Amino acid sequence: MVEPTASLSTLNRADGSASYKCPATGYDVLGSVNAPIELPARRDALKPEDATIEVFVKPGNTTAGVGERYVEGILRSVLTEVVLGRERGYPRRGVVITLAIVGGGSVERGDSYLTVLPALLHTSLLALLSASVPLAMTFSSALLGVTKSGDIVRDPSAADAKAASSLHVLAFSSKGHLLLNESEGCFDFDTWELIRERAVSICRGAAVSGTGEDVAMGERSNDARLDGFVRETVEDRLHVDYAWKIESN
Amino acid sequence: MATPAANAAPSVSPSLSLPPSQFARLQPHAYLLAHLSPPPASNQPSIRANGRAPSQFRVTSANAGSLTHTNGSAVVRIGDTTAVCGVRAEILHTDDIASWSVSSSSTSNSNKRRRLGEKTTDEDEGQDENEEDRAHIEDLNLLVPNLSLSTGCAPGFTPGAPPSALAQSLSHQILSLLHSTRLIRADDLRIWYQPPNLGSEALERHNESQQMEIDAGQGSEESDPQEIKAFWVLYIDVMIISLAGNPFDAAWAAVLAALRDTKLPKAWWDIDNETIICSDDISEASRLSLRGLPVASSFCVFEADAAAGWRAVVIPDVNDQKAQNQRKKGPQQKWILADPDGYEEGLSQERATLVVDKAKNGKNVILKMEKHGGWSVDTEDLRQLVEISGQRWDEMKRILDQC
Amino acid sequence: MMADRRRVNGPSGGTRPAVFASLAESGTGVSERAQRQRQPSELRKIFLKTGLIPTASGSSYLEFEPSASLAAARINPKSLIPPSSALKLACTVHGPKPLPRSAAFSPNLVLTTHVKYAPFAARKRRGHIRDASERDLGVHLETALRGAIIAERWPKSGLDITITILEAEDDRWWADAPDSHDASWGMMNVLAGCITAASAAIADAHIDCLDLVAGGVAALVSDEEKQSSAAPKLMLDADPAEHRSIVSACVVAYMPARDEITELWLKGDSSKASLENGDKRSVHEALLDGAVDAARGAHTVLAEAVRESLLKTVG
Repeated sequence: MVEPTASLSTLNRADGSASYKCPATGYDVLGSVNAPIELPARRDALKPEDATIEVFVKPGNTTAGVGERYVEGILRSVLTEVVLGRERGYPRRGVVITLAIVGGGSVERGDSYLTVLPALLHTSLLALLSASVPLAMTFSSALLGVTKSGDIVRDPSAADAKAASSLHVLAFSSKGHLLLNESEGCFDFDTWELIRERAVSICRGAAVSGTGEDVAMGERSNDARLDGFVRETVEDRLHVDYAWKIESN
Repeated sequence: MATPAANAAPSVSPSLSLPPSQFARLQPHAYLLAHLSPPPASNQPSIRANGRAPSQFRVTSANAGSLTHTNGSAVVRIGDTTAVCGVRAEILHTDDIASWSVSSSSTSNSNKRRRLGEKTTDEDEGQDENEEDRAHIEDLNLLVPNLSLSTGCAPGFTPGAPPSALAQSLSHQILSLLHSTRLIRADDLRIWYQPPNLGSEALERHNESQQMEIDAGQGSEESDPQEIKAFWVLYIDVMIISLAGNPFDAAWAAVLAALRDTKLPKAWWDIDNETIICSDDISEASRLSLRGLPVASSFCVFEADAAAGWRAVVIPDVNDQKAQNQRKKGPQQKWILADPDGYEEGLSQERATLVVDKAKNGKNVILKMEKHGGWSVDTEDLRQLVEISGQRWDEMKRILDQC
Repeated sequence: MMADRRRVNGPSGGTRPAVFASLAESGTGVSERAQRQRQPSELRKIFLKTGLIPTASGSSYLEFEPSASLAAARINPKSLIPPSSALKLACTVHGPKPLPRSAAFSPNLVLTTHVKYAPFAARKRRGHIRDASERDLGVHLETALRGAIIAERWPKSGLDITITILEAEDDRWWADAPDSHDASWGMMNVLAGCITAASAAIADAHIDCLDLVAGGVAALVSDEEKQSSAAPKLMLDADPAEHRSIVSACVVAYMPARDEITELWLKGDSSKASLENGDKRSVHEALLDGAVDAARGAHTVLAEAVRESLLKTVG
């Protein structure tokens, strides 16, 4: 499995930014975060004790449509739980996250948005970290497909996703909570439990998984924990930013 | 907002000085929490502020076919939420499809032959036919669902404004679900044309390449190749007339009921006028043969400590939490409320939506399962929700069969 | 045209409505035009109910009784083409509520009316964006209601009235070719229904009014083959689908208690027409009287619906 690549603070003018590339699905997402900022036009709608999260998703080759509104809603509800909007300086202000899908296949009218969702989630998390927005936890997310023959595949390509009998996106917090589940297709609950197990092992490594020993072993040997990936990306950036200090020691 | 009465007579329980409706507005969270967790001594069951049990749906009614100018229509009321759906069928000529080519219509010949025989069932449908079914419906945009909230259904939606983010997102969800459940068969939407036999003047109009194909077809097979001349496009418009929470379940139920009610007229290619002509005879019209009966059930999660978590930063690890829950049988911390009304939706972050169908053996088949906005619902809860959705399916099937 | 990105769009090449064989080969197999079964002064029954939409301050739902031909077609459907249609609409009232910050000061209640057809309301599919006729209806409705509401009781406040038309009235019989006498006659019936429904919803929202304002329609129709042969007849609450041609029509918004008309809309050319023998009134007067009579009829239904709504709140 080819690991995704990411870099932080790629944009100069945004408070925080990240670019994320997932070779398996081919998606390339550029995200920026501006926070905290005043949202003067929305004074009536602002919550008095909390920050308002706004998410905008821009597809690469067209203007945003109804599908983007839907995925924005999902992202907003996940990120609202993650951002500590009650920290000093954040209440009554806005956290504006803009995600541009710059590479990869476009999501056509009425198509499932699930294939891009993990990339969007990871990009927004990295961009939030880059902007130093206080977070309650980090998370990682996995896309899994079940083929017609019943095999579980990780990060199916767009064509495979279309042919799959069901598609699942799960996101787990750094503390092991199931933050998000989006499943569609045709499946039963037992399949979903297998999916969940597999997703836990992808996102959180073997430590948490229970019965699916063989699957978990496989993922561990690949050292493919996704939450580790987030940590490494941030560490890499820190090494670059603090090179002067590290070297002087 | 303390009332003078409460100040004057502190000996009286202050809650009595406010009528329940005022208390519900001032302290919505505490109000709902008080309903859901009655004092243990009182022996009252946990009940929602609207009088329902946590897993109870609102009274649902459906009525189909009452709108005159539609091919199919339905009104679904779930409690105080009302959705009206009208399906209008219009014709898309293959001449109007830029990407349509003769080859794409002639590839259908093999399928067509099969179609002429026994009506195929889901089990023996071929893979390629599935693929073509999907391609025709999705790539040609044959299904056009749109949902409108600008009907004065609730305060906050300006009439005349472009669709709100919620309306757009609901439109997308309906379209996406229509596609992913493959509810509608492309075959019901195709309008075929059987060219007359060779030698007729119709052939002269065909171009060279097609003539070759027809020749080839004639040589190898007895049956004449048929071609698709047009498609039915279904405009599925949902008007939410009254919104009191859970618009998706109501909208989807209305779409489902309207599609079950939809009748498409018999249509044919009229060679003289070079257009599609329909018969208005109702006995010649055909209903759509839908795949299954996907029923949506939505839930929200009400948490006891949302107000207490004012500054809570430390979120417990999931394993600690489980251990803690097992150790002390403390008061319930969260309630999963089925079919939330507007009041309950305003008090919860976490949502779950399930779409289930039932196989012939009565087993639940999950077609869509989504949850987001929180971290308290996990495997065990979802398993329960699937069960509840299965029960809801039985109820909805009864209601839809009657309408 | 640029596709609307905020909606789900259909095929980019556009689609065409179905053409029925019975219409294409005109003359053969065409079913009979629906005949008016009512007396000239007899109104269609109105179903009016308030308070069906609890999230609004006031609401009402109005439905006209289907014509005899439509009712017959419903019970025993033969053709996919409905012979006529019957008005169905829902009305909500939100407010009085504070005006938005950006609005200028107003000593009176600011009335906003909004009428929208559902895409499936008429024989021809309607667009999602309000067209000229819908705006027109909104303006007429606003004039009709503004005269009835005691607006100075709510300074600095706004009242939003939204009407969704689920099924509209026909402008003519479906098989008739559009001709010079053609106008959007159905729109006048729709307006009358809008006025009555909005009045009920305003009462349901407990907004003070001078009186309940009811809408009524009267029309001069000629059912003869040749228009010159006989004088046109005055029909109350005329359904355009039931008549060969409508010479002119009039809709009023009328308050019986004050004998006052708040809105009058007259359409068609009635200058040359003359009434049947013995009627000395001018054509306009006759139309106006007819429309007022129709409004009085609607008013009794309106009063009953409001009484019901009141009993519900009190009881």
